[in-house]
Amino acid sequence: MNTTLDLVDFFSISPFFIILAAALLVLLAEAFSEAFAKNVSLPLTLAALAAAVYAIAVSPESVNPLLTLWIRFDFLAQLFNLFFVLIAFACALLSASFFRQYPISQGEYYFLLLSSVFGLMLIGSAADFLTLFIGLETLSISLYILCGYMKNWGMSNEASLKYFLMGALAAALLLYGIALVYGAVGTTNFDALLNGYNNIASTQGSVLFLSGIALVTLGLAFKAAIVPFHVWAPDVYCGAPTPVTAFMAVGTKVGAFAAFVVVFFVALPMFNAGWNNAIAYLAVPTLIYANMVAIKQSQMRRFFAYSGISHAGFLLIPLAVNTPEALTALLFYLAVYAFATLGSFAVLATVDVRESGASIHDLQGLFRRSPFLAAVLALCLLTLAGIPPTAGFLAKFFVFKVAFQSGYYALVVIALLTTILSAYYYLRIIATMFMGVSEEVPRPKKSWMAAVVGGGAIASIIALSLYPQPLLDFFGF
Amino acid sequence: MPNLMLLFTIPFLASLLVLIFPVWSGKLLQKIAITLSFIPLIILIVGHSSWIGSHIEYPWIPSLAIEFHLSIDPLTLVFLYLTAFIIPISLLASIDTVPHHPNTFYALVLLLEGLLIGFFTARDLVLFTLFWESMLLPLYFMIVLWGGKEKEKAALKFIVYMIAGSALLISAVLALYLSSANTSADSSFNFEVLAKTAESNPYAAWLAAIFLLAFCVKTPLFPFHAWLPDAYCQASTTGTILLSAILSKAGIYGILRISMEFFPTYMQMWSPILLGFAIAGVIYGAFAAWTQSDFKRLLAYSSFSHVNFVLVGVFVISQTAQSGAILQALNHGVTIAALFLVAGWLEQRISSTSIGLYHGLAKYLPQLCWVTLFFVCASVALPGTNNFVGEVIILFGLFEDNPWLAALLATSVVLSVIYMLRWMQKVYFEMPSPRHALWHDMTTKELLIAMPLIAVILWIGIYPAPLLNQIKPAAEKIVSIASLEVSE
Repeated sequence: MNTTLDLVDFFSISPFFIILAAALLVLLAEAFSEAFAKNVSLPLTLAALAAAVYAIAVSPESVNPLLTLWIRFDFLAQLFNLFFVLIAFACALLSASFFRQYPISQGEYYFLLLSSVFGLMLIGSAADFLTLFIGLETLSISLYILCGYMKNWGMSNEASLKYFLMGALAAALLLYGIALVYGAVGTTNFDALLNGYNNIASTQGSVLFLSGIALVTLGLAFKAAIVPFHVWAPDVYCGAPTPVTAFMAVGTKVGAFAAFVVVFFVALPMFNAGWNNAIAYLAVPTLIYANMVAIKQSQMRRFFAYSGISHAGFLLIPLAVNTPEALTALLFYLAVYAFATLGSFAVLATVDVRESGASIHDLQGLFRRSPFLAAVLALCLLTLAGIPPTAGFLAKFFVFKVAFQSGYYALVVIALLTTILSAYYYLRIIATMFMGVSEEVPRPKKSWMAAVVGGGAIASIIALSLYPQPLLDFFGF
Repeated sequence: MPNLMLLFTIPFLASLLVLIFPVWSGKLLQKIAITLSFIPLIILIVGHSSWIGSHIEYPWIPSLAIEFHLSIDPLTLVFLYLTAFIIPISLLASIDTVPHHPNTFYALVLLLEGLLIGFFTARDLVLFTLFWESMLLPLYFMIVLWGGKEKEKAALKFIVYMIAGSALLISAVLALYLSSANTSADSSFNFEVLAKTAESNPYAAWLAAIFLLAFCVKTPLFPFHAWLPDAYCQASTTGTILLSAILSKAGIYGILRISMEFFPTYMQMWSPILLGFAIAGVIYGAFAAWTQSDFKRLLAYSSFSHVNFVLVGVFVISQTAQSGAILQALNHGVTIAALFLVAGWLEQRISSTSIGLYHGLAKYLPQLCWVTLFFVCASVALPGTNNFVGEVIILFGLFEDNPWLAALLATSVVLSVIYMLRWMQKVYFEMPSPRHALWHDMTTKELLIAMPLIAVILWIGIYPAPLLNQIKPAAEKIVSIASLEVSE
């Protein structure tokens, strides 16, 4: 039994080391000198994330059983790691833009951001339920604190407490599910799960296993904000400061679906047709509810909560289909969703003037004041709505295609009908931007950080709309 | 064979160029944009019928089996001529004042031109659907940015109605894709493959209905026209010309291309009901136009009425009626663009669109009056004008099918005369109002813009044979597909 780690193994887990080391360095800097930390936290974070990207690209695959029992190093794991680091990069820039307006101590913020990334990376590379749980908890605890980072904001404290209480409950249920699975199969390692399930002799055992999986799904569905486990999302998104909402909307959503992918595409593909049908049944109320309630929203952060729930509903469709092509569709959809939401938050960062964040009224007449900002937000919202010729249409089309090929006709029809509703509420915001401007609406602030994120998002969306095949090939490994 | 890639990409490049052009002179930008918009028309005319058969075929997104497949056949060529002709006219309609944010305005119109060329030439069903839905975006932004008082509401109603109409289109496209795997080796979105296998799908009736609904909402067929009056009235002159002259033809082209080729048996089965709706639309539009006190709304209902006339021709499956419908689609586009053009000039002068505000303007604006009267006569199908040829052929086609309906439809021509002449009389004739300073007659520029429209109307009205010969193969193809399906 190999009990030592070679040098090559350290290189394999170097991305994790880099993020962890940077997080601790930022925290130390903050502890010793707040003024020094104010100058150095953002550059240190960005440098660490850039170094992590490089490390992910060049790190070798480890075969040491000390590591591979817990962490996967395959292409999908590297893909998710890359995805999370890029999302964190964008969110760090948006946070910097936010802190120019509220100059409070930032070191702890970046520490928490880097910890969340670490947790996300653990989720994406998990080879065992316990690693998945550790990653999920690291992410969650960092987020609980991040949501309440603005200590003087009442709504922030409330959001943080709500998230913590409900998140703790969901985590407990997830852990119990893992325990039931362990009881049924005798291991929590992903590689052994499918064989273990197929070898279960007694109905008692399979009931145990299926209940465990049901609870695991419930716990993950909470994180992904799927109806009826979504109740925390609108309040928490609304109460948290805008860059944290951006990270939750994009990072946590991708993280939750990464967890779903890791458990249900890698560990247990097509293990039980009943589970696939159950996911399809979960998608329907998610789509209908989220799209109907989003119509009434005027606070942008709360609006993006419902938008996120609606997209989680769409993402459940390839999860229900559960074929390799569906995995490509899910990854492509996640990528497009991430770009579009980050672009939207980049624009919202420029009109973020008060505690409660931007409302739809603050966007009135944005086109007259800054055609560029209005065009960026309009393009991002059209992408989220799935209106051709944007990449959002291609993403939705791919999802519908894999669903149709597996026979989920009714689900596709319902999803198409709810797309009309979503088109209405996204277009309503776009219409507001193009209205005449009134003097009481605050002017958008200039921010190079938001410009970088917005520009990057737009460039990616336009590139994907015209020529998506390279990314589809990349995801189609 | 002329280069189709050139025709397709030039409007997009022009749009990009206009968008990034530094706006230190709106007038200069206007001239550049209008010049660029003429290029597709010039290359179409230079190539004329040698365009038929040119095609592009690349695999665009192999993972989704979507090909970038464009090609031109006689039916497509007619609609390409219309698009290439109307877009410069619509830009020239706004030549007197430079619109605010001119970069965006001209870029959107040129983008629309590119999307329309892509739509009319697309031969891959997903590409077709992509262009079909993308067309709405430039028009939505044109209404919302440069429209009238209630532009936001009208624009939102317009686009949500359209998206709702084509909501289930994706599911129908995917269903056809799956059923094409039954007969040929691979499933595909290619038109030729799908045309053979479409009716073998177990849900073919539903799919035919879904496609037909999407096309009928855009045209619009009665009773799916609720979005029409507000959208037409609230858009600026350019927007209204684009909506009425081209967008409605996109719906008609869709019916001819997809419903007729993919689902001929269902179209024949439903032909009586659809004919009923279309004729009801003609008569309803005419009566609604008669009661209007706003001439832009009057022209909107008139456009609706005449488009339903074209649909009557589309829904009768005979070669005469189909040729008439295709010709009349072209004619209607030209005529309604002309009518909205002169209405826009009138609106500029009297600063209002209400009938009866000022009378007897023929005294002060004689040239505008005569040009308007000419276009009005074209619209009511005076013999010698293009609409006469188109409508007569449609009536012949309908008469062969059902003489009583043809008689009913013919009486609707009388209605169109009534509401149009009522407008002319109330605004231009009767006792003249006292003169205002703004009332200057047509400028040379405006006369020059009106000339090509007058020329086309007279040319098609007096000598339609060449155009009819070009349309004949398209009509023959549609009818032969229909009779093939019936005989099987």
